[in-house]
Amino acid sequence: MTADVVATRRAAPRSGARRLLSRHWYAWAMTAPVVIVTLVLVGYPLVRGVYLSLTDATEGNMGRTIGMNVIPSTYEFVGLKNYTDILTSAEFLGRLTWTVVWTVVCVALHVSIGLGLALLLNRPMRLRSLYRILLVLPWAVPAFVSAFIWRYLLNGEFGVVNAMLRAAGFAGVSWLDDPFWAKVSVIACNVWLGVPFMMLALLGGLQAIPRELYEAAEVDGATPWQRFRHITLPGLRPVSSTVVLLGTIWTFNQFPVIFLLTRGGPGGATEILVTYAYRQAFEGIRNYSGSAAWGMVILALLVVMATVYRRALRQQGEAW
Amino acid sequence: MRRVLTSAAVAAALALAVTACGDGSGDTGTAPAKSAAPAEVSGTVTWWDTSDATTEGPVFQEIIKDFEARYPKIKVNYVNVPFANARDKFKTAAQSGAGAPDVLRTDVGWVAEFASLGYLAPLDGTPAVDKPEEFLPVPAASGKFNGKTYGVPQVTDTLGLLYNKELLKKAGYDQPPATMADLKKVALDVKSKTGAGGLALNVDAYFLLPFIYGEGGDFVDVQNKKITISSPQSVAGVKIVEDLITSGAAVKPALQDSYTNAETAFKDGKVAMIFNGPWSNADNLGGKVFKDNPDNFGVAPVPAGSVKAGSPLGGHDYTVYAGSKNLDASYLFVQFMASAESQAKVAGKLGLLPTRQPAYSAPEATANPKIAQWQKPMETAVERPWIPEAASLFQPLVEGYQKLAGGQTTTEPMLTDVATAYQGILKGWSL
Amino acid sequence: MVSPAAPAGAWSRDRRSPGRSIALHLTLIAASIVSVFPVAWLVLTSLKPRTVIETASVAPIDHPTLANYTQVLGETRFLTWAANAVIVSLITAVLGVLLSATTGYAVSRFRFPGFRSVMWMLLITQMFPVAILIVPIYNLMAGLGLINQFPSLVIAYLTSTVPFCAWMMKGYFDTVPVTIDEAGRVDGLTPFGTFWRLILPLAKPGLAVAAFYSFITAWAEVAYATAFMTGDDKYTLAVGLSQFVGQHKAEWGLLTASSVLIAIPAAVVFLLVQRHLVTGLTAGATKA
Repeated sequence: MTADVVATRRAAPRSGARRLLSRHWYAWAMTAPVVIVTLVLVGYPLVRGVYLSLTDATEGNMGRTIGMNVIPSTYEFVGLKNYTDILTSAEFLGRLTWTVVWTVVCVALHVSIGLGLALLLNRPMRLRSLYRILLVLPWAVPAFVSAFIWRYLLNGEFGVVNAMLRAAGFAGVSWLDDPFWAKVSVIACNVWLGVPFMMLALLGGLQAIPRELYEAAEVDGATPWQRFRHITLPGLRPVSSTVVLLGTIWTFNQFPVIFLLTRGGPGGATEILVTYAYRQAFEGIRNYSGSAAWGMVILALLVVMATVYRRALRQQGEAW
Repeated sequence: MRRVLTSAAVAAALALAVTACGDGSGDTGTAPAKSAAPAEVSGTVTWWDTSDATTEGPVFQEIIKDFEARYPKIKVNYVNVPFANARDKFKTAAQSGAGAPDVLRTDVGWVAEFASLGYLAPLDGTPAVDKPEEFLPVPAASGKFNGKTYGVPQVTDTLGLLYNKELLKKAGYDQPPATMADLKKVALDVKSKTGAGGLALNVDAYFLLPFIYGEGGDFVDVQNKKITISSPQSVAGVKIVEDLITSGAAVKPALQDSYTNAETAFKDGKVAMIFNGPWSNADNLGGKVFKDNPDNFGVAPVPAGSVKAGSPLGGHDYTVYAGSKNLDASYLFVQFMASAESQAKVAGKLGLLPTRQPAYSAPEATANPKIAQWQKPMETAVERPWIPEAASLFQPLVEGYQKLAGGQTTTEPMLTDVATAYQGILKGWSL
Repeated sequence: MVSPAAPAGAWSRDRRSPGRSIALHLTLIAASIVSVFPVAWLVLTSLKPRTVIETASVAPIDHPTLANYTQVLGETRFLTWAANAVIVSLITAVLGVLLSATTGYAVSRFRFPGFRSVMWMLLITQMFPVAILIVPIYNLMAGLGLINQFPSLVIAYLTSTVPFCAWMMKGYFDTVPVTIDEAGRVDGLTPFGTFWRLILPLAKPGLAVAAFYSFITAWAEVAYATAFMTGDDKYTLAVGLSQFVGQHKAEWGLLTASSVLIAIPAAVVFLLVQRHLVTGLTAGATKA
C-alpha cells in the first residue's frame, strides 16, 4: 500500500513533466537558443559578478601565471563592504541624482518630440516619405560618430553653433566647458539621437489604431484634444509602454554619448553612474570587485524601476 | 532554420564546457628556452605599435624590414593599435593569456603598472638589454620596477615652451621668457601690444607638471610614501596657473578638446606661446603662421619656477609580454629596434628624440634640426613617479584643473580634494 | 490591434486650412533641418582641407577637396576593414533576426512555464552595463579560442541585439491575428510550420526593423571590437578608423571623412529597409 502511494506519487510528476514537455516543447525549443546563449554570456558573468562583488578582488590580487611570472591569489571575502563603500561615498547621491535627471529629461523629450512628429507624419500630405527619411536620419548614424559630430559642432572656439550665435549678435556659449551647458549639450545630443526611434515606433503604433474609432468620436462631437486623450493615447499604450521602459533602461546606461562628448566633464559635472562606474573600475589597476558591485547596484536600480513600472501597467490591465 | 538552431546550441554547449573548466586564469605559457645563438632563433614576433599610424608607423615598418633581413628566421607581425585603446586592450588580453602581443610599445607611465601585475617579462641579462650604459639616465629609469628592468626606452620627450617669434618681437622681446614671472609679463605685453593672446593653456594634468615641478612640488614623494599634491610647493605651482588665467595672461582655456583648441590658437597666430612637446612640431609647422615661415617657430625649455625649470618626462619603452611564446625572438627584436642605429634612423626621419647618447651625434639624427632644437628642453626633464598607480593619478587632477579653469574653485580647496582622492588610490600613503 | 487602419488623419485632409497646412510643413521642415544639419555639417567638413578645418573658419564650403577621402581610402586598409565590418554585421543581422523572431513568436503566442522568466531575462540583459561585461566575455572567448575571430564579435553583438529585437518582434507578432495560426494548424502544419510558412512572411516589416537594428548595432560597435580583434587585418571599420585619433592630436579631416564613410553604408541599409518598412506597414494595415 505504502509502496503503491509512493509509486503513484513518483509517477505523477513524471507523467506531468511529460505532459508539460509535449505541450510546451516547441515554445521551449524556440526560446532555447537565446536563453542558453544569454545564460552563458550574461548569466555567467552576472553570477561571477555577484561573487566578485563580495570580495576585494583586483587585477593585482587574482591569482594567475603568465609565463615566468606567478601571481598568488590573495583576494578575500569582504562581505558587503563594496556595497557600503559605494552607497556611503560622497559621490554616489550626486551621481544618482544627475543620472535620474538625465534619464527623465531625455526620455520625456524623446517621447514628447517623437509623439509630436509621429502625429504630424501620420497624416496624408505631400513629401511625407521625404520628411520621414530626413527625420529618421540620426538613427542611421553610429552613436560614436554622432557624439563626435556634436563635439565638433559645439566646440567653443571653432564650433559652428557658436559661430552662428556670434553672427546673430549673441555671445558664444561655453557649451561643453560650463557645467550647466555641458548638461544641456549631452541631453541635446542624446535627444537628437533617440527621437527617430521613438518617432518610428510611435508612428507604427498610431497606424495600428482603428480609424473607425476616430470617425465615431467625430460623430459624437469630440474635440481634437478629447480624441487625442481618449483614443490616441490609450491606443498607443501597447507600443509606448514598451518603448518607454526600454528607452529608460538605455538612457540610464547611455555610455557612449557621455563618454565621447564630455568624458564626464567638466569637473565630473556630466558623469552618470555607468561612466563613473567604468572609471572607478578601469582607471589604473582594474578593480574587479568594485566594478562588479557597481554593476549590481545599477542592475538593482533598474530592476526596481522595471518592477514598479510593470506593476503600474498591470494594474491598468496590461499583460504579464 | 534548424541548422541555425543546432549551431547556436553547439556554441552554447561549448561555452558551458569552457566555463566549467576555467575562469580565464590564462594558459601558463612555455618556459623560457635556454638562450640560443641569435642566428638560430626563429619564430614570429607580434608587435603592437602605438605610434601614429599615418606618419610614424611606416618608418618603424622600414626598420622591421631591416630586422627581418638580419634574422631571416624571425617574422614580425606588425599591428598598429591606436594609442588611446592600447592600455586597456593590452591589459584585457594580457590577463586572459590569449591575444596579447609579444612586444608592446609602452608609454613610460604604464611600465610600472604592467610589471606589478605580472604582465611583463624581466629583461635583465637577456639580449633585449644591450649596452645599457648608453641610455640617458632619466628615460632609462622609466623601464625599471622593483630593481628589475622591464622596459627598454624607445623614444623620449618632454614639454617645452613653444613660441611665435614675430609676436614676441612685436611685444618687445627677442628672447622667450626663462622664468614663470617673465612668462606672465611677456604674455601680458603680447596681449596689450599685439592684440593676440599671450599664452594658451591645455587643461590637462600632465601640462600642470612644469608649474608644479618649478616650485619643487610633485604628485607624490615615492621614497617617503607621501602624497605631495597639496603640499605648499605644489600649491604654489598651481597658483601660478590660476594667476595666469585670472590675470588674462593666458587666454580662457577650453576644457573639452582643450589640446586641439590651444594648438589651433597657437598655429593661427591667435596666441604667442604654448606648452607642448616635440610630437607637435609637424603639426605646428603646418599652421598658418609657420607654414611659409618656419623660422618664426621657436622652442625653449619650460620657464623656471622659484626652485628650478622642470618638465615631465614622456616617451615610450619596448616591453615584452611575459606570456610570449617567442621570448628569444622578442628579445632580439627589442635589441634591434632600440639600437643606436635604429634610433638614429627614427630621429632623422621623424624627429623623435633618441634615448641613447650616441644616437644624438649620429649624422642621420643630426640631419633633422628638431633633434638639436629639443636637446635643451630635454635637459629639464624630470622623472615621474614610476609606481603602479601612476596612471590613476591624472584623472582626479584633470577634474580639479577643469573646475579651477572654469572658475568654480580655487587652488587650495581643489588640491585638497585631489589629495583626498589620491588617498583612496594610494592605500597607506601619508599626506 | 486586429484591424489596423490607414493613417488616422486621412479623412480630415480636405478640411485642413491652408494656414494649418503651412504650419504643418514649416514645423516638419524645421525639425528636418535640426535632424539633418549635424550630418550635413560633417559631410561639408570632410570636404575641407586640414588647414581650413584646423582654423576657426566656419564657412560651409572652403577650398573643397577630396584629399581626406583619398588619404583614408588609399593609405589605410580601409577596404579590408569595411569587408570585415560587412561580414560581421550581416551575420549578426541574419542570426539576430532568426533568433529574435523565434523567441518573439514563442513569447507572443505561447504561455509556457518559464515565460515570465524569459521576458525578465530579455529585459535584464539590457540592463547590465556592457562596459563591465567586456573582461569576463573576453575570457570566455579566449577559452573558446575565438579571440581575433569574427564569431566572437557576432556572439557578443547578438547578446545585445537579440533581447531588444525579440521584445520588438513579440510586439509585432501580437498584432498578427491568432486566426492565422489556427488556420495553419487546421491545415495540419506544426507550430514551426505555421511560424515559418504563414507568420514570418506576414512579419516582414518587423523583421526589417530587427535586421536594421542588428546591422547598425554591429556596424558601429567599438568596445567589443577593440578588445577582441587583436590583428589589424581583422579590425572592423569603426576600430580601424579610430587610428586617426592619435596620442596627441585628432586628425579632424580624416576623422570626418571616415565618419562619413562609416555612416554611408548604414544610411544605405536604412534607406533600403525604410522603403520596405513603409510599404510593409501600409500593406499590412490595409490588407487586414
